[in-house]
Amino acid sequence: MERNKANLASKHPEARKRKGAPTGANSQQTRPNNSRGNKRVKFQDARNIRSQPPDAALDDGKLDLEKFLNAREYEIKALETSMQKCKDVNASRVFQQVPRAMRRRTASHNAKRVPKRLRERARREMIEDNTPTVEARRRRPRTTRARIRAETAKRLGILAARQQKKRLEKSSTEGGEATTKPATIQSRAPRPKIRRNVLNDPPKTRSKFRKRQINKTWLPTHLWHAKRARMTEPAKPLWRFAIPITPTEKCYRPTHRAAGQKGAVVWDTSYISTMGLYGSAEGAERVLRALGLTKEALWGNRGKKWRAGLRKWSGVLSKPRKDGRRNIGPATVVWNPEVPSGESTSLKPSHPSNPSRQLLIRTHPSAFVELFNELLKLVKMQSPQMHIEDLRFEIGSIEILGPASTEALIGVLKPYYEKVAVEGNQGCVFRSLVGVTNPSSLPKDATLSFSIMNPRLSYPPKKVVVPPGSDQSLLETLTKWPVEEHLKPSGLYNRDVRHKASQLPSQKSINRRKGSCLPGKGLGVTSADPPIPVMLLASRPATPGQAQGLWTLLAPWKCILPIWYSLMHYPLSTGGNPRLGGLDEQRQVAFEQGSPWFPGDYPGTDAGMEWELQNREKRKSDWDRRPKSKRVEWRSLDLGGGRKGEVGDGLACDFEHLFGLQKTIVCSAEPLGPRGGGDPDAMELDHREEDDRADSPKAHQTHPLGTVTHVTKAKFDEFGSTPNANRPPKHSLVTVSLSFTGRGVASACARIYRLPRQACPPVQPSTQAEVPATQPPPSSNPDSLPLDLREQWLRKLPLQEANTNVAASRGRGQQEARHSIVPPRIFSSIGTSTLNRPHLAGPHLAGSVPGDKILLGPKAKANQTDVGGHPLCPGEDDLIGFVTTGSFCLSEGKGTAIGSISAEKATESLKEAGAKEGRLCIIRNAGESVGWLARWEVV
Amino acid sequence: MVRLKDRYLLVNIVYTDVQPGQAKGPVSDLMLYNQPTTGELRPQHLLKAIRSEVNALFGDCGSGAVDRSLQVKYLSQATSTFILRISRDHYRLVWAALSFMHKLPFKDGRPCVYRVVRVSGTIRKVEEEAVRRAKLFILAAKEEMAGKPSSGALDALLRGKDQGRGLAMVVDQDVDDLEDDDLEMEVGG
Repeated sequence: MERNKANLASKHPEARKRKGAPTGANSQQTRPNNSRGNKRVKFQDARNIRSQPPDAALDDGKLDLEKFLNAREYEIKALETSMQKCKDVNASRVFQQVPRAMRRRTASHNAKRVPKRLRERARREMIEDNTPTVEARRRRPRTTRARIRAETAKRLGILAARQQKKRLEKSSTEGGEATTKPATIQSRAPRPKIRRNVLNDPPKTRSKFRKRQINKTWLPTHLWHAKRARMTEPAKPLWRFAIPITPTEKCYRPTHRAAGQKGAVVWDTSYISTMGLYGSAEGAERVLRALGLTKEALWGNRGKKWRAGLRKWSGVLSKPRKDGRRNIGPATVVWNPEVPSGESTSLKPSHPSNPSRQLLIRTHPSAFVELFNELLKLVKMQSPQMHIEDLRFEIGSIEILGPASTEALIGVLKPYYEKVAVEGNQGCVFRSLVGVTNPSSLPKDATLSFSIMNPRLSYPPKKVVVPPGSDQSLLETLTKWPVEEHLKPSGLYNRDVRHKASQLPSQKSINRRKGSCLPGKGLGVTSADPPIPVMLLASRPATPGQAQGLWTLLAPWKCILPIWYSLMHYPLSTGGNPRLGGLDEQRQVAFEQGSPWFPGDYPGTDAGMEWELQNREKRKSDWDRRPKSKRVEWRSLDLGGGRKGEVGDGLACDFEHLFGLQKTIVCSAEPLGPRGGGDPDAMELDHREEDDRADSPKAHQTHPLGTVTHVTKAKFDEFGSTPNANRPPKHSLVTVSLSFTGRGVASACARIYRLPRQACPPVQPSTQAEVPATQPPPSSNPDSLPLDLREQWLRKLPLQEANTNVAASRGRGQQEARHSIVPPRIFSSIGTSTLNRPHLAGPHLAGSVPGDKILLGPKAKANQTDVGGHPLCPGEDDLIGFVTTGSFCLSEGKGTAIGSISAEKATESLKEAGAKEGRLCIIRNAGESVGWLARWEVV
Repeated sequence: MVRLKDRYLLVNIVYTDVQPGQAKGPVSDLMLYNQPTTGELRPQHLLKAIRSEVNALFGDCGSGAVDRSLQVKYLSQATSTFILRISRDHYRLVWAALSFMHKLPFKDGRPCVYRVVRVSGTIRKVEEEAVRRAKLFILAAKEEMAGKPSSGALDALLRGKDQGRGLAMVVDQDVDDLEDDDLEMEVGG
């Protein structure tokens, strides 16, 4: 054994000791063996400054000029070497010096991972430090499988070489001409098949990567992202895509800053599914109406611009069911501008059954199959016939958010056509948007579609120059929005144009062209450079306010990558480049803007339900993995007032419990787990598709959460506005954004309670001073909640809010109710405002009125009447919903959350307590006994 | 993490038992004043002397404050130069002690003056100053030997026009850079 080791050590250079001990003057000292000690000795060595004895400066004991000068010179040298040595010993390796964004994995072992100018130093340092390096290609296979693979590869290589040799011999005997002449036949790149009314195959990838994409599809920028972001696990794709989750570098606060104040965040959102709807305008109207676009404004005069293709529509689509409508998910609908009458239509497809209108419908991949099936059903019912196309892998998209988003887009997207007559005015309008710092300042839901040049031609992108005096013209553009001039249909809807745009010249040929043209001159557009049709959608944030709007760039799938490269390297005028974002950043931005994120915050839809069930499982497995002493024991949670145990399942947003639905054994794990979303596999498309169609409704029927529906804000407002409007449907949820009035931070699964109802104790006719003494104490029964719980909670309101609140409630004649609980003497002597002040009404007043405390006699047990002076959580019948996303919000500076509450109970509390007090709620994190006051707002 | 803040003092030993005009033959005044120190002088002797002086001047409190952090970083007998390290809060005690010392720390040691020429927050700056001064020494010595009295080097070495100021103390910019508000130095005096 020992011998073996020694052998190994001598064989492998890696096995050598990594750092040679420093060779210094004092090497005879005994050194500690550990590396720490070595380091210490090294530092001591380096800090030691050499000095001379006095004899050096004396000539036989006498002063001598020569020696005097020599001694000084020696000193200079000694000090200088000391400084240098100190610097060297403290020096860090080059890979530690590169900025954080440029750090790469294994940069310590691979010089190629550091920027070019540092590579030489890195190489030298690696040699100095004796860093073991192994080239992946030369690595000795460690596992049996790897060994067999390597051997097979070797054998195949030998075989191939032999065959090639044979072929060469054969050709040389035949004449030798065939080998020198290249093949002259040029094949046309195959146009991808897009079948009607059927799901399409994902793009065929290089064989090298095909095996890794069997049960998922890579985004066009996958290779770029995989190096810089944490991706979904290989075996667990999200919605059948490999999606970047979050960048590898820490970026929570930088993302917040880039999205709101300075910079831009970019996402590759090519996973968002696009569908094409083709047919007559009337048919399209019928289909869209059936999907829930029933607002008359859309189809009247006000929706004219939308139908002309100048605006987009974004909203929640729904489908009819036996018991009312069920929401599918948010989607965007864009119309293709019509071909201007009286013009020759070169863009028209040649076949006669020419659809008169074309629409794009974009939705989230988790809701795609549902929407596709619904659309298919609707389309087949129409006459004259319509059809749909699955354009998922045909059209990709990039989203960009932040003050510099417009600038970055302008710097990267260069319109292909200069003349207005060729393609309309929209490219020029886009170019004139220099100086826009928020796409919400554009007309609402504006779209711009034009063709751009290959961004590689002008790579690296250069800073956009703001022309002087552009402010006035910009204002004019924004108000007039002159996009209707020479309106042409967009090339993005045309598969031939898309296909042509996908045949971009290779990077190699562009480099060659660049090499041959003069320095400083840009590359001109040649016939080899096809125009790339793009569409830009400007969206405003869901919540009103100063939040940033979002640009969505649609482009052919294969053109996303060159655009992405240019975008990520665009030098922003405020410094830096646009930041990379992942799924987590998308959720973060939505959360900070107070808008719900699909599907996570929509548990009332099928996609949201699947997300919730998946997350439940994840939380459950996380909980299971924790040791028993370190996880929340749900059953022993003390909620106070004699209540034990968590309400419902502590690891879930337990809407089944909220609505009293019967719990079934969760069988939905099967369709969710291995398959990710509901998106059918491309390889086994035919039977999978059937599977899905049959399967997905079944899963929803089996799981009780499937009966829970989602209500949009508009619908909810209808219920609330009129007093005798029909009640919201049973088991319906409405999404709310919650913000704490004071302290508190919510996390997912937190419980939302409404304020408990005013208990009605026998109201004393007289309001005299003796009332508190005669009235039985509110919390005399240890096993029930205090009767004045609502009052206690209302006292927790911050002063300003409380005052307005009291005034509002008084106006509605609830004064007597208040007086019946709180003794009037206190009211008259201290006054409401002081009573409501939190520090006064804090620990001693909040539990109950002091008079009552005295009456109680022996001190109540802990958590009996209050939690250390904090009011108890309301009872289970006051539970109205759950938080789906929550944390501390950087934009608000306090805790906020997004949750879903029962629409029925929400309207109830609004009717009972008014618009102000009715929106108050109490949020309690799962597994905690303390709740905090918050306010909800429907979003 | 709290960083320990130090000061580094660059000190020259200047011998005072030289009568002016004593220089004969090949030896100049400059060399006589800055002649090499005896090889017997070890860092321990210096430390001991400074400590006892601090104790005499500031009592137990002072010596206790100075005791822990005082260290000799560099001692060159050939050039009569040494570098001391002392905690930032107490370096003035050491400086004061050095000012009151007037002989080498032996029994019947030669009379001399400890001249603090530089105070700095980093040893690097002190080293740079020592290098600068050594260069000036070389220049000045050469010029003096060549008999050119109007030399800039000597002036620079002794800090300028005011020759009467025996101790030209230099507290440079880099100390102020270290955000050190308790450094209000009275140069000279």
